[in-house]
Amino acid sequence: MADVSAVPEPLTGIEQKVLTFTKAVNEKIPIDQTPREVIWTLNKTRLIRYQPVLPASQRHKLPLLLVFALMNRPSILDLRPENSYVHYMLHQGYDLYLLDWGIPGPEDKDLKFDDYVLDYLTRAVRKLKSFAGVEEFSMLGWCIGAILSTCYAALRPNDGLRNLILLTAPLDYSNPDMTFARWIKEPNFNVDLVLETFGNMPGQMMDAGARVLKPVENYIGNYLRLWDNLDKPAAVQAWQAMNTWVNDNIPMAGGAFRQLVTDLYRHDRLIKGQWYLRGERVDPAKIKANLLTIIAEADHITPPCMSKTIIDRVSSKDKTLHYIHGGHIGIMVGSSANRVTWPYMNDWLAPRSE
Amino acid sequence: MPEQQAANGKPFDPVESFREMRDNYLDSWAKVMVDVINTDAYAKASGNMLETCLSMSAPFRTAVEKAMLQTLQQLSMPSRNDFISLAQRVSNVEIKLDDLDAKLDRIEKLLTKTPSAERPRPAARPRRPAPVGAEERKG
Repeated sequence: MADVSAVPEPLTGIEQKVLTFTKAVNEKIPIDQTPREVIWTLNKTRLIRYQPVLPASQRHKLPLLLVFALMNRPSILDLRPENSYVHYMLHQGYDLYLLDWGIPGPEDKDLKFDDYVLDYLTRAVRKLKSFAGVEEFSMLGWCIGAILSTCYAALRPNDGLRNLILLTAPLDYSNPDMTFARWIKEPNFNVDLVLETFGNMPGQMMDAGARVLKPVENYIGNYLRLWDNLDKPAAVQAWQAMNTWVNDNIPMAGGAFRQLVTDLYRHDRLIKGQWYLRGERVDPAKIKANLLTIIAEADHITPPCMSKTIIDRVSSKDKTLHYIHGGHIGIMVGSSANRVTWPYMNDWLAPRSE
Repeated sequence: MPEQQAANGKPFDPVESFREMRDNYLDSWAKVMVDVINTDAYAKASGNMLETCLSMSAPFRTAVEKAMLQTLQQLSMPSRNDFISLAQRVSNVEIKLDDLDAKLDRIEKLLTKTPSAERPRPAARPRRPAPVGAEERKG
């Protein structure tokens, strides 16, 4: 019989490392833990209010509504207490709300941007204003959430939106050399066949599409980074939190996905002011809220060319375009997020929230 | 060992140099892959592959769906479409409730905005005749 004690020490070290690695990859850790209450629901959508941490006298007057994308969970905004935008903003004195779109089921396959903007978002804003007892508010839209926020700001300019923050906003689709645009242009991608098959656009398919944009980094480099840092518990936890979020994919409502492909990627209707939601024209020139557009310089999902033109199309008198070094997600959860991105947003928003 | 000391004074680490080599290799590989996936040829090939997969699986999917529907009907059980239509009706009811909530909010706001002096007084109700013996019961 083999003598186990005779296994050389370096090999037992590697064995231990493999076990830790496997555990880290497969284990989901709790994220999205900030205390909250649900103040409104409609279908799968929930309007959440995070429990304030400062007394009312020390808080800003204007509440802030966070609007995230349709195809990912908003828990990225609240990964872990030491790396949470929600946690940070609560401590800066904001009355913070989040619109969680939920997970669309087969019955939601016909939901379109029209419904998300004119039913869900508009109604959630009404509830927020009534709940908070305010007439004005601020809104932050990230990624697809920025498309929804832009549409809302253009279609309902007099509903009390004072400050609008657009984060990595995919609004201008005029550049045909963008990778996504290349993939889904006609006849490369048959959107009708995909939606006829699945109803909603499956989350795994969209996730695979996003990962293939940087295949080596996402399928190999990501795991090597974990392997290299296995002896640092904080780094492992951060990796696990991110991995938990990345693998929590949700489908996108079929109707909205079709619009994203045809109206936006293929015909670039939004920035041209040629997009109609329930017969109402989305005209960026009607946006008059104070505007901050944040662009991630190394964004491969929403390249900077998609986000920068909006600043010239709006009527807002107070508007700022700001570049931050980092990627699409990295600028909000990366190591420099709490030193660069969040303080910058707070510095911009705080004086405008009184 | 002194001969293994690098110029910066740190001990020579063979793993570190292997790691550097690995990272350099991955970087150049990543650049090549990004160039590949950003070509029309890749876009066409991946689109064709997806379309072929979905088209080929469509007849099987349709057959399974039909069989499932018939089985559910024979068992007098609701189908997926029944649940979908039920869920859509619930959503419509929710929207109606939200409309009512909005109306109530508006009414509440109007009532709180109206100064008490301007608020129309409710018409005085005709007094009911006191029940017989009420005064006595009061003592």
